[in-house]
Amino acid sequence: MDITIDDDQKMLRETAMAFAQEAMTADAIRALEGSEHGFDAKVWRKMAEMGWAGAVFPEEYGGAGTGLLELALIVEALGQGAVPSPIYSTVVEAGLLLLDAGSPAQRDSYLPRIASGEAILTTAIAEPSGGLSPAGIRTRITPAGNGFTINGTKLFVRDAGAAEAIICLGRTGDNETDLTLLVVPRDTPGLKIRRLQAAGGEALWEVVFDDVNVDADAVVGEVGGAWSHVARLLLRGAAMKSAELVGIGQASLDLTLNYAKTRVQFDRPIGSFQGVHHHCAEMYRDLEVSRLLAWQAAAALGDGMAGDRETFIAKAKTSEAIQAVTRTAHQIHGAIGFYRDYPLELYYHRAIAAAAAYGDAGHHRRALARMLRENLGRFRGESSHELPVHYV
Amino acid sequence: MDLKFTAEEAAFRDEVRAFLRREITPAVWEAHRDLAEQGMWTAEFTKAFRRKLGAAGYIGMGWPKEYGGGGRSRVYQAIFWDEMEYHRAPGLDRAITYIPNALMALGSEAQKAEFLPRIIRGELSWFVGYSEPEAGSDLANVKVRAVEDGDHFVVTGQKAFSSDAHMADYGWVLTRSDSASSKHRGLSMFIIDMKSPGITITKYPTLAGWTHHAVHFDQVRVPRSMLVGEVHQGWKTVMGAIDFERAALSSPGLVSYQFDRLLAWCTKEREGGRLIDDPLVQDELVRLAIEAEGAKVMSYWLACLHAKGLRPQHETSLALLVKRETARRLDVSGLELLGPFAPLRHGSPWAPLEGEVEVEYRDHLYFQFAAGGFDITRNVVATRGLGLPR
Repeated sequence: MDITIDDDQKMLRETAMAFAQEAMTADAIRALEGSEHGFDAKVWRKMAEMGWAGAVFPEEYGGAGTGLLELALIVEALGQGAVPSPIYSTVVEAGLLLLDAGSPAQRDSYLPRIASGEAILTTAIAEPSGGLSPAGIRTRITPAGNGFTINGTKLFVRDAGAAEAIICLGRTGDNETDLTLLVVPRDTPGLKIRRLQAAGGEALWEVVFDDVNVDADAVVGEVGGAWSHVARLLLRGAAMKSAELVGIGQASLDLTLNYAKTRVQFDRPIGSFQGVHHHCAEMYRDLEVSRLLAWQAAAALGDGMAGDRETFIAKAKTSEAIQAVTRTAHQIHGAIGFYRDYPLELYYHRAIAAAAAYGDAGHHRRALARMLRENLGRFRGESSHELPVHYV
Repeated sequence: MDLKFTAEEAAFRDEVRAFLRREITPAVWEAHRDLAEQGMWTAEFTKAFRRKLGAAGYIGMGWPKEYGGGGRSRVYQAIFWDEMEYHRAPGLDRAITYIPNALMALGSEAQKAEFLPRIIRGELSWFVGYSEPEAGSDLANVKVRAVEDGDHFVVTGQKAFSSDAHMADYGWVLTRSDSASSKHRGLSMFIIDMKSPGITITKYPTLAGWTHHAVHFDQVRVPRSMLVGEVHQGWKTVMGAIDFERAALSSPGLVSYQFDRLLAWCTKEREGGRLIDDPLVQDELVRLAIEAEGAKVMSYWLACLHAKGLRPQHETSLALLVKRETARRLDVSGLELLGPFAPLRHGSPWAPLEGEVEVEYRDHLYFQFAAGGFDITRNVVATRGLGLPR
């Protein structure tokens, strides 16, 4: 057992943090909110040049073949710098999905261009039914000629405005998990997109499929076999958002400590008051626990363990804890933090968005409760103790 | 990052488990619980069990080989602590975790030679004499005096809140040796043989049901060779030693045990159904499991940092805070989940889980103030860890 990061990972983390701090000014970040693409293409290209767009892909596709923990460290740094990027849509969702389930032709066509930063791709999973379960998927995929026709509405699609293709999840049969994934070029007739107004820096879209036709080779994986891949995608997304939340919490704490050390009231820096000590210690406590749980989730998913339990725990914890950290940060800042031109507001908004993405705290607690009912051994964890003899 | 125990670590864990399940059976617990000291093992059993730990090689396994230790990494020590706490085994106290580490770092060669071999065999019990009626969280406020007299120091005064002083062979005692110096300067640390003439112990019952002690020193003569570190430099000795205490106390075994015990209670079939089928109970158990996982990961993370040769400090305080706060949450939820059975104590035929939950709800109250306590720990983390001004 070694639940610390190694020297290479430490170096990656430091590089990513330095980059994220320098990449964009707060004004530039704010200016992107609500814009069509929501990220700066030049900054994304620089990130790709540093190898981050391809980090997790095998070398044959131009990647570096790192694990998910490395990706989590990058995402944490981007969260800390509040740098918007298409890393979720393109790498965490579409890229890794294609690596898992794509045909050789699909992989060859997209992965090298994703790794180099050329191609933006995304996935369309969730629907107005809300929730992230297979039962909520109403979008219909019907056989038509040599391929399929898609009809339905998708929500929370990341970076649809910039994507060259959208991988869409739809229903191909009556059983709950009779679901199929199709790659749809963005310019296909009948596909309409509309930007959603939402908190945080991500560009989220509504995507309507109105008699959209695709060829048979658009299928990712097998017809009717999509759900296990989507479940994995959602877990990876949740683990990465946990790491991003940690970055958001770290930035909030850093701003708060700096303020508490320099802001003088009653002839003393406010950071010398015990009430402030206790608030800051609790922020730090929640942050450190969150960080370890987030790293654990990313490492578990990356190491080929099931990783579901670890991810549920991480996202449930970070979604609540980091939102609380940002609220406490505002408590200590007082009115100044309430102003839009003070950087704390960026993190307050991003915490709202990141806590909601890929399942909020309640969603993941429900998943844990299901595990508690159905698989107690798994719920207690791999390294759990044997129950003491007198209670067995 | 490698989340799994290595094959060797897992084998060690299994060996420790087998040892503890063999030694700490329900019958042993019934035979050796001290009914006058509710919820506690008898002093005799604690001492005998410590010798067994010594004979099995568990006490010095993390010590350097030069002191007769096993030189194993802190991960092994963490596994051992975890399992010991989980099985409620006695003897995992300052005599094993704190004093030997402090001695190795701060003691004279003669002191190491005299005490370490006896400690590693599990022969010695200790009390730590820091607290006094006027010196608790403000530790430098000690008033017990040590006056130089040739080859000896003469110690007079009273220590308070002295855990396990009744069974201690030695005291690790902080004294004021120079009353003219400022608060932190005139302190000296001594090892005091508890059989020395002039020592008396007073008992104070606690609301947890067991007794705590005050130790009175009346002109107790302590040889100069039992001075730890330099004269008047006792504050440095205390600060150097205190992190060892917190590292051991942050073990997650207690929290895991509390959680598993509650789970067992909630899955029991009884008339009216199982608690675990209630959605509110499921939500509470899930929330507790999340907190318990945090405490566990944090504790093993510390062990891994130590194993890498790093020396975490405020992180150690933080881990202790997380563990103890989680334990308190489990205490509170435990009482609630027991419902009308909550107040029933051991000895009542209807007491659930042998009355342990109710005992711990009272006993763990000391987590809120002992060895720093919650609010003092937050101050330590804020000033030493986060650099906030005092």
